[in-house]
This record gives sequence, C-alpha cells and structure tokens, in this order.
Amino acid sequence: MSETADVLVCVTMVRPEERLLLGALRATGLTARSALPRHTAAILNNAAPRPRKVLLRNVSHRELAATAGRFEQAGIETLNTPHAVRLCLAKDLQAIAFANHGVPHPNTHIAFTVEQVRAYVDTLGGDAVIKPISGSWGRGIVRITDQAQFDAWAGGREALDPAGKEFPVVVQEYVPKPGFNERVHVVGDRPIVAYRQVGAGLRTNTHQGGAVEPIPISDRARELCARVVACFGPGFYGIDLAESRETGEMYVLEVNTNPDFARSSEIHGVDIAGHVAAYVRDSVFASTGVAA
Amino acid sequence: MSNLTTAPVCLECDTEVALPAEAELGDILSCRGCGQEHEVVEVTPIRLELAPEVEEDWGE
Repeated sequence: MSETADVLVCVTMVRPEERLLLGALRATGLTARSALPRHTAAILNNAAPRPRKVLLRNVSHRELAATAGRFEQAGIETLNTPHAVRLCLAKDLQAIAFANHGVPHPNTHIAFTVEQVRAYVDTLGGDAVIKPISGSWGRGIVRITDQAQFDAWAGGREALDPAGKEFPVVVQEYVPKPGFNERVHVVGDRPIVAYRQVGAGLRTNTHQGGAVEPIPISDRARELCARVVACFGPGFYGIDLAESRETGEMYVLEVNTNPDFARSSEIHGVDIAGHVAAYVRDSVFASTGVAA
Repeated sequence: MSNLTTAPVCLECDTEVALPAEAELGDILSCRGCGQEHEVVEVTPIRLELAPEVEEDWGE
C-alpha cells in the first residue's frame, strides 16, 4: 500500500473514536488514512511516501509501543510522542516521573515480589491498591484492607503466575474518592473538557460502565494538567484526577495516551476529535513553515 | 483467512457483508447472518479477515 497521506492514523481497529478523528482531520483539509501495522511496512522500508504526522491510536498496548518506537527510529513525528507513550503505558514509570516533576500522585511503591507487596501494604497502613504496571480499563486492580484479602490476592497470583513473570506491580495508597474520578482531556497543552466518571467501586472508567457528568474545568485541574504536560510534553491525553474526600487533596491518578472519548462526547458535547485535528493541522503546518 | 471478492461475504457463513459508504482500513464489520465480526484489511479491493479478539493489553 503506497497511497500518500498527510496524517497516518495507526490503529488496531477503527472504533468510533478513530472514525471521528479521520473525519475531523479531513475536514481541516489534511489527507488522512488509517493503517494497521502491516500497512506501515512500505513507509518504514522507505518504499512509500512518509506521512507528515502519525496519530497513534492502537488500542493494543504492545502494538502501540512497537509502532511508536518504529516511527521514532524512522524520524517521523507521532502524536503522542514515543516519550509520552512510554510513560503512559507503564504505571511504574509514571510514578517515577510524577515524583521527579512534582505531580501530586498517591503514595506509590514499585514491588517485584509478593514479600515486597506485603511490606508496602503494611507501610501504607494496611489499606492499599495493587495495580498491574500495564493494566487498562481498570483490569487487575484490587484493594487490600486486611490480611485475608492479601492472602487471597497472593494465593491467586501464585496459582496463575508461579514464576512471578507478571511483576513488578505498583502498590498505591488508597484514595477515598467521593464516588467519582475526574477525567480531563488535554489537547496540546490545553485542557478542553472535564467530566466526572461516576462509579461505586474502584473502577470508574466509562468503559466499565461509569456514568459521565460534565463539570467546569477547575483552576486546580488546570494546574495539575499543566504539571503533567510539563513532564510528558504536549499531546492528546485523558488525565484522571481524584480528590480525597477525607483531606480534600487532589491527585493525578494516571495519564492515558489513547483516551476513549466517543461515548463521553455524546454527553458533554465537546468536539474532542475536532480539537485534536486542529492541533495536528497546526503542528503539521508549523513544522513545514506553511500558514494554516 | 481472507476474502478477495469486491462484494465481500462472511468468512464463516458466506452471507454478504454490508459495507459502509467509505470503508476505512481497520473497520470492523459484522455479518448480518451469523454475527461474525470482520476487519477490513484492504480497501481496493475490499478484503476482510476475521476481526481480532480483545486481548489483555487492550485499553486506554
């Protein structure tokens, strides 16, 4: 496949989000097409014209990381950058980056053994959340509040992963949320919409059935997003914030590089795809010195 | 498995698969006959493969 396009939208599959993005990119006057990994071969092998920008939308993390790395080595700009993708795909790296850049984050420890997990849960007062490094959509996240729960987690883990290949994990301070997370979408360096993801348990992702309640973007949310952008670089992010109902402190829980937005957009009404397309258009024209 | 016809049919039951007005690479199309999902892997001409299953590393 050798068709040229200004923007290549790399996908595992085209979901409603990617269809919206393709439409919005074309509406700016750019040419855009989707591509499965196999369709990047000719570009990477210098047998097809290079796109001016690659929008990374692979829903498979393995595919996303590999695709980001290949375009990085080929010298083709991607959104998000490979640096941001690496940080977003690994909760251990995020925790380290947050700590080094003063981004408020729940107290988080990286653990490589069951014994380390036990010690860190104790350090956190016996109430902690264990998260896989690369989990998404809330998968694999458990809260431990007593010894019996810890033993159940450790026993299940030993049965499924006797060699410990799924370590490390992160052991994180439990934040008593008021029944919701706050999701802020950032495009470039600007937060463009905020909404609550309302759910009863630990998982409030809209993918897990969490309800969406639009809210204004608060000054505190803007400040936290600015700190994230200073650390990750400008890009397209879904930033999850959580406020402790006990202390009122607000934390950045995590930054998502490939945020879902089709369902929530129907409720808050902000044209996220249009914002992303305008940002891509401006960055493409800025890099070629042509006025938008 | 793949399908090289211009009017694609389901790879499981041979029912004709309806195409959107402008098919994109990576589109997921369901068979009206048996519900099997297919992925568009080429657009000129249209070629379908069985859609990938959701894997553990999929997500935001």
